[in-house]
Amino acid sequence: MTIRLEAVRWATGGTTIIETMTLAFAANRVNVILGPNGAGKSTLMKLAAGRLRPTGGRVLLGESDMLTLDGRALARTRAFLSQHVEIDFAISVEEVVLMGRYPHFSRAPGREDRRIVAAALELVGMAERRHRIYPTLSGGEQQRVQLARVLAQLWSDEADPPARILFLDEPIASLDVHHQLHILETVRALAAQGCTVIVTLHDLNLALAYGDRLIFLRDGRLQAIEEPGGVTPALVQRIFDVRATALGDADGRVLRFHL
Amino acid sequence: MRRLSWIQVNVLLACLLAGCVLLALSAGSFYFAPAQIARFLAHGLGLGAIAPEETLDLNVFTTLRLPRVLLCGVTGATLGLSGTLMQGLFRNPIVEPGLAGTSAGAALGASSVFVLGNSALSFTAPLGTAAVPVMAFAGGMLATLVVFRIATLFGHTDVLALLLAGIAVNAMCNAGTGFLSYIARDPQARNITFWNLGTFTTADWRGSLLVTAIFLPCLILILRRGKDLNALMLGEDDAAYLGFDPERLVWRLLVLNTLIVSVATAMVGVIAFVGLIVPHMMRLLRSSDYRFLLPASALGGALLMEAIDVVARLVIRPAELPVGIITALIGAPIFLWILLAHRRRIASA
Repeated sequence: MTIRLEAVRWATGGTTIIETMTLAFAANRVNVILGPNGAGKSTLMKLAAGRLRPTGGRVLLGESDMLTLDGRALARTRAFLSQHVEIDFAISVEEVVLMGRYPHFSRAPGREDRRIVAAALELVGMAERRHRIYPTLSGGEQQRVQLARVLAQLWSDEADPPARILFLDEPIASLDVHHQLHILETVRALAAQGCTVIVTLHDLNLALAYGDRLIFLRDGRLQAIEEPGGVTPALVQRIFDVRATALGDADGRVLRFHL
Repeated sequence: MRRLSWIQVNVLLACLLAGCVLLALSAGSFYFAPAQIARFLAHGLGLGAIAPEETLDLNVFTTLRLPRVLLCGVTGATLGLSGTLMQGLFRNPIVEPGLAGTSAGAALGASSVFVLGNSALSFTAPLGTAAVPVMAFAGGMLATLVVFRIATLFGHTDVLALLLAGIAVNAMCNAGTGFLSYIARDPQARNITFWNLGTFTTADWRGSLLVTAIFLPCLILILRRGKDLNALMLGEDDAAYLGFDPERLVWRLLVLNTLIVSVATAMVGVIAFVGLIVPHMMRLLRSSDYRFLLPASALGGALLMEAIDVVARLVIRPAELPVGIITALIGAPIFLWILLAHRRRIASA
């Protein structure tokens, strides 16, 4: 299922954060949104996910306006991993991940929901810590628990799974390099199984390695949409104000940056 | 030791509550033996006669003791439930209706009717007997909204802003109530001072049934929101991505919460800290999952309140202490302890 933005604009308190832009995210691919701080990446994500109401234009999911969709039904096919989720209450890791199944059951979770929670915890490597109290975990562990939650929300074991969309807002910012790669591999595998992934990243090299399409923003404006092969030092200079040198590499390119 | 399931904990609390209610029915300056209580209740249901020498006892039991125990239980359940609810809405474990200004605002609203109700300033006259609960609700809602807006201004709850806004709003409301009691003629003034401490001595059937009739439907609506409050722990955005409508949820629950707290406060006065102690004990007992916490803190609140009321009636017999003194005496140290634990967690995070 595709998400399209048609002439979407968003302003708050007289300041325009997102200038009118039209853009379609590639279905079943990893779409990476890139740009300097304050470019409007998070706002664009919230608009595309249906959390913000556009000041102008509309966001379409398939053929229907995102705002007309039932929240609960939408939550079965669209999940969102926020940058940082802080919880002030003593609640177990397992209970947090179970929240991902809330759109799927009404009163009490079924055996299927329990199984999916266990599988999602396994996938992010937190299965042994499922009884730990969430606020006592480190920032990186909390982030992995939240990832398990959104994975549980979109979980499907069907051979022909329904169309799903996963948003991730800087999912690897607080992780060590092993878990960064692990999460990006998980996300890429998910896209291969028919899930549209929309993710913001700060690491351009990881974006080149894992992204299928790179969407560049600056000052609330859409600047460029490129495949990894089309990212040139000139584009990097224009978006980030840094000089970039491409270093040759057997399985891809690596960029080195200079001021 | 195997941990008890949610249902087992709630059944246990209900059994303890039943025992405590029996104790509350029998203890006091008039003592009623359990057998006598059984006979009185049977008589009330039209079964069995009462000996003529028991008529006075029966009268005390049905017109004083029964409504008091009912009001006490419902008020306790209200405060326990409200503490849990507000902690969920503020996404913070150190809130309760006393701190957030709800109770003080309701007390100010109610006392304005008591003092000004018969004067030339009587703008509430068209409301008739509904004036007290209506004005209590208006006062409670206004105070709560001010504190809520300030505390959650930038999308997350700021504990310092919450506590300071609570202090300021409480001070304003208390000043208003103090002013009213100062300009009031006896005996209204005595009522107001007594009322700031919270007491069940004035319980009658009219008040008890009104509080109960408002509490029960609100309770049913609130108990259905366990999952919603759990999702809200993640923050409003993430709750929305799970298919909930956080803005509408917060608004609805704030109204229900203020309604039950205001009406109870209008009847019994301000009883602080119950809304803080009870949810905290229930969290320690089993879990912070609201699907468990909401019913458990209603039961736990009723249980604690009945127990405290029995103590209040016995400790300086035949006179009695306002329950608000006892709850503050127990609750304030517990509050400090929770605050300390909270600071430790923030420091270690």
